[in-house]
Amino acid sequence: MTLRADHVAGAFFVGVGLLVLALSGDLPTGSLSLPGSGFMPKIVAVLTVFFGAVLALRGSESRPFATVAWDDVKHAAVVVAITAAAVAMFEWLGFVTINVMLIFALLVVIERRRLFPAAVYSIGVVVTTYVLFTYALKTPLQAGPLGF
Amino acid sequence: MESTLLSLAHGFAVALAPANAWYAFLGCLVGTLVGVLPGIGPLAGISILLPVTFGLNATQAIIMLAGIYYGSQYGGSTTSILMRIPGEASSVMTCIDGYAMAKKGRAGAALCIAAVGSWIGGTFGVLVLTVVAPPLATIALRFGPPEYTALLILGLIFLAYMSSSSLIRTLLMACLGLLLGMIGIDNMTGHFRYSFDLAELGDGIGIVPVAVGLFGLGEILSTPSAGAVKDIISPRLRDLLPTRKEWSQAVMPITRGTLLGFIIGIIPGSAHIISSFLSYAVERRVSKHPEEFGKGAVAGVAGPETANNAASTGAFVPLLALGIPTSPITAVLIGALMIHGVSVGPTLVNEHPDVFWGFVASMYVGNLMLLVLNLPLVGLFVTVLRIPYAYLYPLIIMFCIIGVYVVNNSIVDVWIMLIMGAVGYALRKFDFDPAPLVLGLVISPILEQSLRQSLIMSNGNYLIFFSRPISLGLMMISIGLLVLAAYAFMLKRADWRTKLAEVEAGETET
Repeated sequence: MTLRADHVAGAFFVGVGLLVLALSGDLPTGSLSLPGSGFMPKIVAVLTVFFGAVLALRGSESRPFATVAWDDVKHAAVVVAITAAAVAMFEWLGFVTINVMLIFALLVVIERRRLFPAAVYSIGVVVTTYVLFTYALKTPLQAGPLGF
Repeated sequence: MESTLLSLAHGFAVALAPANAWYAFLGCLVGTLVGVLPGIGPLAGISILLPVTFGLNATQAIIMLAGIYYGSQYGGSTTSILMRIPGEASSVMTCIDGYAMAKKGRAGAALCIAAVGSWIGGTFGVLVLTVVAPPLATIALRFGPPEYTALLILGLIFLAYMSSSSLIRTLLMACLGLLLGMIGIDNMTGHFRYSFDLAELGDGIGIVPVAVGLFGLGEILSTPSAGAVKDIISPRLRDLLPTRKEWSQAVMPITRGTLLGFIIGIIPGSAHIISSFLSYAVERRVSKHPEEFGKGAVAGVAGPETANNAASTGAFVPLLALGIPTSPITAVLIGALMIHGVSVGPTLVNEHPDVFWGFVASMYVGNLMLLVLNLPLVGLFVTVLRIPYAYLYPLIIMFCIIGVYVVNNSIVDVWIMLIMGAVGYALRKFDFDPAPLVLGLVISPILEQSLRQSLIMSNGNYLIFFSRPISLGLMMISIGLLVLAAYAFMLKRADWRTKLAEVEAGETET
């Protein structure tokens, strides 16, 4: 039997539904006349399991899992990794520093742009945005150790 | 009627106040840019720019955000016609005949017809909204928990039934959204649910991080910059006016698109997307020359472009009259108003007349601004399209982070955005449309509360939904739709959605 995209997707959603049911163990279901906090989540989790199972069972109509194109996954993974690193340091280093580093890293590491134009662009757009938000829109952005 | 006109006049006084008119203009301009730029849809655009409105009052904020919404519908046509890249999802159908017209040297005419059609669709929508919303709000005051439950269930079923992807996929996305919406403190019992001892999750997961993650970051992750460069056809300003023959070919599609779009706009779902798909299907069916579709048919541009704008305006009817979001975009707009301390619902028109009527009047003004803005400035928008995507997407990621962080000053929200970006990327790989997920997330607290209140009211009797006239009517429509869907499923018969999806797939490949 060929593994199809909907087999994988359906199985995933069945797993999500079962996980929610497992996590809902300590939530009171209550009764029909007085539903508890676990009442609705359990209904929706059961529906998720049901729809996931239907999707998987009808999976033979979908395309083979092997044909799902993952050629852009490296680009996506690097963007996520760089952004995650920036988010992790965001409150520590502040808006300006972290975003200059983020844009510079994306341009140099992923897009292979030359260092000088990448640096000028990163600093230019981040400083402009900082001034726009802080002074024109009166929306303060996260400050770092240097005060910006 | 007289009181409506008086209120509308008051609305115009509010909308034409210099500061408010400026924010309407700014919203329209930014919205057009959001629509023009591939990769940023109206949902991500509004979510990212939400913090910009924090320094404004509620009227200015909603005027600006709504301007971004309907401005993006106008702007989306530009990239569709000139590059064959839909600036946003509702412009997919315009790509087919719009780009074909551009290749024949009629890019200017296609842009003009799209802009005029959008203006007519949008303005008609506001006219009906002006007349319909206030009385509907009065009726909605009679709604109790059972009616709200029935209405929200109908919304979910309609969304699934009308969706161009499969019913099961849409329902799965809605379920996932409903589950995400249940994270945090249970309003009725005070229980913490699925918050894993994170205090930030006590208030639940916000719409903004989820929407920005799924639609903003998710789109970027799916679009490597190497594949984002395309040829752009530059129209000349003197070629903007369509010929007499082109106008006559556009009249009926614009009329049909206006009516179709508005009606679909009122119904819950991603109305502006569905309406453009349906309008294209209708135009081809009624055309005397269906063979011209795909080769530059004027009706293939006029109908869908008009319909998506009429639908955008129609979507404001349930928002303003009932306080119920019919799409993720209107859900974010409700969130924006709540941040400004304005509760959207049947009482809005009486409690905040400045916001309600100022907003309605601003849509008349905004639609006119967009018509004036879009045609002469098409050259400027084409220039924006020439910015290399490699430089554009790091900027968008930065705005995603700001947009999410500034709402609550919470880094947890930014992490949620990042996770949802990865989820959005994966969902696209498996052909899931993330829009129902956001809608599920938004209606989850309202649905849960009204369902539980209904059951408490009836002492656990489910028949309460069938014993009150309004909820009975709504439930019967829901059951009817489910029966129709089940009938098509049992017979394994391809219904209009499947057929349309097949046609689209065929035409996108050519």
